[in-house]
Order: sequence, then C-alpha cells, then structure tokens
Amino acid sequence: MAFFFNRGRSRQPADIVRSTKELLLRIHDSQNAPKAEEELAKQLSQMKLIVQGTPEVPPSVDQVHALVQATLQEDLLFDLSQSIHLLPFEARKDTQTVFSHILRFRPHAYAAEKDPPVISYLVHHRPEIIVELCRGYMQSQSAMPCGVILREALKFDVITAIVLYDQSSEGESAIRLSEVKPNHPQRGDGVFWRFFDWIDKSNFEVSADAFTTFREILTRHKSLVTSYLATNFELFFGRFNNILVHSDSYVTKRQSIKLLGEILLDRANYNVMMAYVESGDNLKLCMKLLRDDRKMVQYEGFHVFKVFVANPTKSVAVQRILINNRDRLLRFLPKFLEDRTDDDQFTDEKSFLVRQIELLPKEPVDRARPTRDSPSAHTAAVA
Amino acid sequence: MDDMASHYQVMEELGSGSFGVVYKAIDKTDGEIVAIKHIDLESSEDDIQEIQQEISVLATCASPYVTQYKASFLKGHKLWIVMEYLGGGSCLDLLKPGCFNEAHVAIVCRELLLGLDYLHSEGKIHRDVKAANVLLSQSGKVKLADFGVAAQLVNIKSQRNTFVGTPFWMAPEVIQQAGYDFKADIWSLGITAIEMINGEPPHASTHPMKVLFLIPKNPAPRLEGNEYSNTFKDFIAQCLTKDPDLRPSAKELLRHKFIRNAGKPESLQELIHRKQDWDGGRGEAKDVKYYAESLNTMTRPDDLDDDDWVFDTVKAPPMWKPKGTDWMTFDEEDENMPDPAQMLEDMHISQPPAPPKHQANSTVRRAPTDRTPTDRSPSVRRANTKRRSSGIKQPLGLDLSYGNSPSTVRQFRRVSDKVPNDLSPTKQGFDENQSPKTVSTDTSSKEAQIGRRAYTKAVGLSCQEVLSTTGDGDKREAISRLAEAWSDLEMVDPEGLYHIVRIMNEKLQADSRLSTLLPSTQPDSPSRPRLVLAQNNPHLKSHRRRQSYVPEPQPQSPPSVPAQAAPGMEHTKQLSDVLYQRWSEGLRNRWGGI
Repeated sequence: MAFFFNRGRSRQPADIVRSTKELLLRIHDSQNAPKAEEELAKQLSQMKLIVQGTPEVPPSVDQVHALVQATLQEDLLFDLSQSIHLLPFEARKDTQTVFSHILRFRPHAYAAEKDPPVISYLVHHRPEIIVELCRGYMQSQSAMPCGVILREALKFDVITAIVLYDQSSEGESAIRLSEVKPNHPQRGDGVFWRFFDWIDKSNFEVSADAFTTFREILTRHKSLVTSYLATNFELFFGRFNNILVHSDSYVTKRQSIKLLGEILLDRANYNVMMAYVESGDNLKLCMKLLRDDRKMVQYEGFHVFKVFVANPTKSVAVQRILINNRDRLLRFLPKFLEDRTDDDQFTDEKSFLVRQIELLPKEPVDRARPTRDSPSAHTAAVA
Repeated sequence: MDDMASHYQVMEELGSGSFGVVYKAIDKTDGEIVAIKHIDLESSEDDIQEIQQEISVLATCASPYVTQYKASFLKGHKLWIVMEYLGGGSCLDLLKPGCFNEAHVAIVCRELLLGLDYLHSEGKIHRDVKAANVLLSQSGKVKLADFGVAAQLVNIKSQRNTFVGTPFWMAPEVIQQAGYDFKADIWSLGITAIEMINGEPPHASTHPMKVLFLIPKNPAPRLEGNEYSNTFKDFIAQCLTKDPDLRPSAKELLRHKFIRNAGKPESLQELIHRKQDWDGGRGEAKDVKYYAESLNTMTRPDDLDDDDWVFDTVKAPPMWKPKGTDWMTFDEEDENMPDPAQMLEDMHISQPPAPPKHQANSTVRRAPTDRTPTDRSPSVRRANTKRRSSGIKQPLGLDLSYGNSPSTVRQFRRVSDKVPNDLSPTKQGFDENQSPKTVSTDTSSKEAQIGRRAYTKAVGLSCQEVLSTTGDGDKREAISRLAEAWSDLEMVDPEGLYHIVRIMNEKLQADSRLSTLLPSTQPDSPSRPRLVLAQNNPHLKSHRRRQSYVPEPQPQSPPSVPAQAAPGMEHTKQLSDVLYQRWSEGLRNRWGGI
C-alpha cells in the first residue's frame, strides 16, 4: 500500500497533465472510451488533490504552479472544456474544481490588483477556451460544470468582454481582447447571443444555469455592459422581449422580467432605460404582463411598468397609450394585487402611479424631444 | 418542459416536506418508485436562484448515504424535484413510538458520518443535520436529506458566516457567527444522537431564542446516566466539543469505538416495523391523500373588470368609442396595421438611445436642461434601491386557501414536530389540489380578509407561541390540535373566524372581572409575532422561500423586540438584543438589501 501511495504522490504535475491530455484524445473514440474514462477519472482526482490539498495537508503552491504551467503548455484547458460532457460524473466535478482553481491561481508575490495570470493568458492567447465553456450549455452533462467555471471566470471584466464580443463560429479562432471594438454593432450570432436559445430551448436545469450566467454577464461589469447595450439596443431588447419575456417557461419569464427591471433601474444604464421607456411597444408588453394570470409575473411586470409612468418626459407614443387607457388603469390599479397590504413600498408606488395617470393631459403633449418622438418632423430643427 | 411530468404517475402524498408537498410516484419509463417534491414557485417571492442553488448542491451529490437526486423540471409554475424514494420514513417519524436504543443510534451515526464525510470532501456543508432530515429506506439504509440550507464552499478551507440551521441543533460557532466550517455538522450530529436516544434534543422545552443564548454560554450537553455505555457517552462528548478546532472530523469519528462496533443497517428495519405496528395499533386508517392535478391553479380576480387594455392607437384619445371596441383586446392584427402612429412608435426602439443633452440643444421648445438620474421621481428611485427586498413581502391573498400561500398549517407543523399531526380529525380536507368548492363562496369579503389577517397575525401565532413555551406532551398535543382547527377554519370560513374573534373579544371586554384580569390591551408590536415565528422556524432561508411569510427584522426598533418575544427573559434583555441583532444581520447578509 505504502508503495503505491508514495508513487502516486511523487508523480509530477507535468506527467499527470500529459497523460490526461492523451486520455482525452482516446475518450472520443468509443472503443477505448470506458477504459479511458476510468483512467481519466483517476488523473483528474489527482489534479484536484494537487490544487485543493486535503483538510489535513494544504496544497503546495509550487506543485500548483507547476500544474498551471503544464496545463497551459499542453493546452489542456481547451481539451477539457471541449470534453467535459464525455467525462464520468465525479470527473466532471473534479474538472470543475481543478479549472476554477487554475483560473484563480496567483503565484507568490503576484500583484493582487492584477488579473490572475491564467485569466490574462486566456483573453490574449486562448479565448477559444472561454467560448468553448459557453458551448458547454449545448449538452446537459456539461452545462452545470461549465456554468460554474464560467461564472468564476466572469468575475473578471476581460472575460466578460470576450463573451460579449466574440462572433466566431465553431472551429474558428475566437476574438482576442485587443480585437474588441465596442462601437461595432453585433451581428447577433456570437456566443453571447446563443444564451437566448440555451435559456429558451433547454430543459429546466440547463436553462436555469444558463440564465444565471446570462444575468452575471449583464449585471456584473456595468460600464462594459452599458456601452454594449447602447450599441446593440434594438437587437438586444428585441430578443429579450420576444424570447425571454415571452417565454413559455414560468421561471424564464419571471426571472427575465425581474432582470429587465434590474437592468433598467441600474443607475449606470440610465440612457438605456430612457430609450426603453420611450417605446410604446415596450409599454404594451408591460401592460400585458400586468394582466398575466400569474401573480408573480404581474408583480415583476409592475416594477417595469412603473418606470414608464414615472418617467417625467414620456414620449408621445407612451402618453397616447396611457391616455387611451387612463380610465381602465384608474379602475385597474387600485385593485391590482391589493392583497399586498403589508407591502408599503408597493402600495406607495401604486398610489404614486395612480396620481401620475390622473395628471396626464387630455391629449399627448410633445415635450420637445426631437431626438426620438418623430424623427422626420424634427430633423431640420436638430440639424 | 411540461411533458416531463407525464413520465411520472403521481400517487399519494408522502407529507408536506420542509417545503412544498412530497408525493410518491412511479417513473413510467422504468417502473421505479420515486419521491417528487412539488414546489409552488408562484407562492415564493424569493429569488428562484436560491432554489436552483439547492438543486445544484443536490445534483452534484452521488453517494449511497445521501438521498439521490434524479431530475427537476417545471410544470406550469410548479417545480418538480424527483428524488429517490425512501420508504422507511425519517428518524423523527421513527422516534414517535419511542426512543432508539444505543445499538440503533450507533448504526445511524455511522451511516450519517459516512454521508457527512462524503459531503465534506465535496466541499459541502449540510448545516441542518437532525433526525427530521435523516431518511431511511425500507431496508434500513440511512440517507441524509433536505439540502434546503446546504452550502457549497468554493474552497476547501473557506468558512461561512451565515446564520442558518435549527436552533436546538446549532453549533456554538454558528450562533456566534465567528466563521464556521464542516465541523458545525459534527456538532449537529452529536445533538441528533442525543435526540435519538432521548426523543428530543437538549433544551427542547426551552424557548428557541433562549437556546441561542444557552448553547454558546453553557457547557456542552453531555449524556448522563448509567444506562448508557461509556463509549457512547464519549462519542457524544467528542461530537459536542465546543471548540470546533478540537472537534474531530467525520473521518476521525468513523474510527471511534462506538462507530466501529456498530451493527448492520439492516437491523434498523426493527425501527421501521416498530413504527408500522405503532401506527397499526392506533387503529388509524391512514389518511391517504392522492395527487390530483389542479385544473385551475389560478383564478383571475373576478372583481376586476375585464376590460383589457386598448392599444389600437388609431385614433386620437378623446374620441368616440363604440361600445363594442371598448372590450377589444390587443391582438396581432393591430400590429400589422400600417398605422402611422404605430409606425412612429415602432421607430423609437430602433433608434440608438440618444444622449440626454440633445434635449437642451433642441430649438423647438423649451426642454429641461439637466436630465440626470436625480431628476427622476423620488418614489421610483426609492423603488430602485428598495426593490431588492421584494422577498420580504406579504404573500398574495387570493390563493390563500389552496396552499399557494403561507400555509400556516405547515408552519405550525414545523414547530410541533413531535406532535402526531394526523390526530386531528379536522385536518382532512386540506389539500392544495383540492377543488375550491369547499370554500365559502365569498372569501374576498372584508370580514373574510380581516379574518385571514386575524389568523395570520394573531391566532395562529398565539398558538405557536404558547406551544413553543409548553413542554408537556399532552398539553402540546392539545394546543396543536386547537391550532390546526383554527387553521382549518381560516381556510374554510375566514369570515366565521373573524366573527368568533370579534365576539370573543367583545365578551371578554364586556365581563368586568375578565376585563380587569386580562392584561391591558396594549397593541402588540407588529414585529413580535413575526419574530416568534422566525425563531421557531428553523429554515430561515428556506422557510422564507417556502412560505413567503418572512420574519421581518425591523431595523429601526430592534431593541424592544427580543425581550418581549421571550417571556421570562427580561433579565437577559441586553444579551438577547445582541443575539437578535446578530441574527437579523445574518438574515440581511443572506438576503441582501433588507
């Protein structure tokens, strides 16, 4: 026993990485797969031991360092991210642990304010790994482990930038950080845009995890996202409204309305919000949510609807819809979710909205907002 | 994916779990019996993400000592979680006929340690180990269940600060919030061992709030008496080491003599048979409730006028409206109409958002010059910041009757764990899928609403409060039956409930002697009942999610709360204040933005 144990311990990280790499090639070949799987599981659990240590023995920084270097040298992270779905159950979890530790790894005396070296390496030299991790949502076996690794990586804005701006197809090389052009509108087929489908079309477990990641992308690094949304406003909210808010899945629908509210009410996204609440179509969408037959959908919808009404400079289109429905709204709102008696904030907001609607003019008033309300009529004035 | 549900033939109710209702079911694809938890997401204000968190903890567990997760999917607004079926019941159920003997406890402890060892090596903390969360298979296999508050640590050495668990079973370091790790589960295991041998955890008759203060202060509980072996006593003493650093790990405890000498899990079948005999001896025709698909999960508030929004923007607003189109719904055809106004609207969204400063440049009409976010209406901006706390809101009332709402029955059952619920003859008939016809037609009357409120705010909580300070078994049972009767009344006839409470109040006041004997009717602090509820309710987080009835820490006046909430604790007011504050901070940390 002792003999085996020692031999296992003394194996160098580089050896483990190399044999893992070989085994990963064999696992794609169905004939060798069962045996390779078993071997792979062993290698990965050894790697986990290196990065994690045990409750009794802490990990050795030198060993981890050697492991990180070897994985980069052998490009193992790419192979792993491509094959997670083929690995057995425990090996998938070990991969997730090893991956996350490697991403976070900082050598001795590494400046704390700098991104960890592997993160920088990924965005400059191997962004394909990040894209490949996202594609983990294509299989249910890899969705959750890839999701965990991704969210670990998305803590760094540079990674978020890659996910947002990459437009490579499968097999092509992905966008480098230096190639990112924030002002270029997206085509809408990049990896970020595939999240809409993954959320909408996958089973509950995958969809929910994909949504969590999607939300992380959109809420964590504000300035990055604000300029992205501004540049791709129509594309983004078009899909958001049509695919997510209209989703047949209760969870997707409710979560995305909530996320919509969060995005709009985030101070950093002020301009995005103002653009959103000018659109009559968006208002219609929200008003329909108020009439959904599920109360929590109504409730989440309310928190978007209120922004339209509270906006002091409503567009003509929005005013017209509100004025057309003034009587209905004034009958509807006082009874809307009236059981929320303990919810003072909600009650306050509701009566605020009622007041605002009462105060609406008889006819829409163009508040001299030539930029959006009627571009044709005001072009001359602006110019 | 709605069709996933059709893969299962759902049968009888197994019980109301810590959240949602659990049914027995057959997987039609392979005939396997499974347990399916139904969680009504519509009654949960909580972030659905937290439920996902629980699922992901479950889904990454594969151990013979942990209940096996199989799948989860949505059916409408209910989340179904499919788990392995364990027919032996929970250890708490098995304790009903009487305490376990030492041999049985040893077996359960060993199996639990194997489960904990697995979880801990996976970087997971269970955080709510207790007899109620230990399930047995028909053959005696022991499995850890209920991951409602489990935590996944990112790092093997990282620590947690969140204040969760069930007071009686909580380790001192969890209460003190000095940071804790896997060792917290070991303490809870020690308490669970005492629970199994004694029938209840230490301090069981004490107010939970007081327990929070006793556990860190008092010496650790010990098993006393000659009837127990020394190895057993030592095992418990090891588990209940107050200093977590000195407390052994699961792996170490597996080498303890008490554990090494434990017998085979099969002999736990004795406990299962004992329970079956006990149930049989009580001559109870088991009140089996079958799953019935709810057809009308939601009804539209009927007092709302049905006039849908008018989006036909064809005409200018103050126009003649034909009676017929008054009810017109917005349909797709409208959108296809090449209406100029419509087209204008459509264009807005396709334009890139314009920087606000353009308004000032506009030469057409005077426009507000400075449109910074501060310009916006204060109430909306407040909403912005306060909105995160949307979780602490009252549930929606309409569905109160069908379990879509804070089922006070369940809340109550959590408290009266030791009381056999099925005793109550009035209990039958509560099923969330039952058709609504048993309910009085006019449940939305003002009286009914007050009645419901009286129940949630006063009656139900009073019962809970009295129960939590009552130790005697018979008394507890009687109180619990009374509480269930109230709860039934609230469901069937809230209006009647209101009248009873009103008349009772009047009669009490009318009688000169009674009215002087009664303490003057000082209005109850609104936060008081909530607080009591919260302490009794172990799953602080999961509870909130499950019942959406939330202990609402009231930051503006916390000092007055705890001392009131725990009668007989006036002398410890300061301490309990501190504890209360810490606890509410714990809640705040968890939920953010409260």
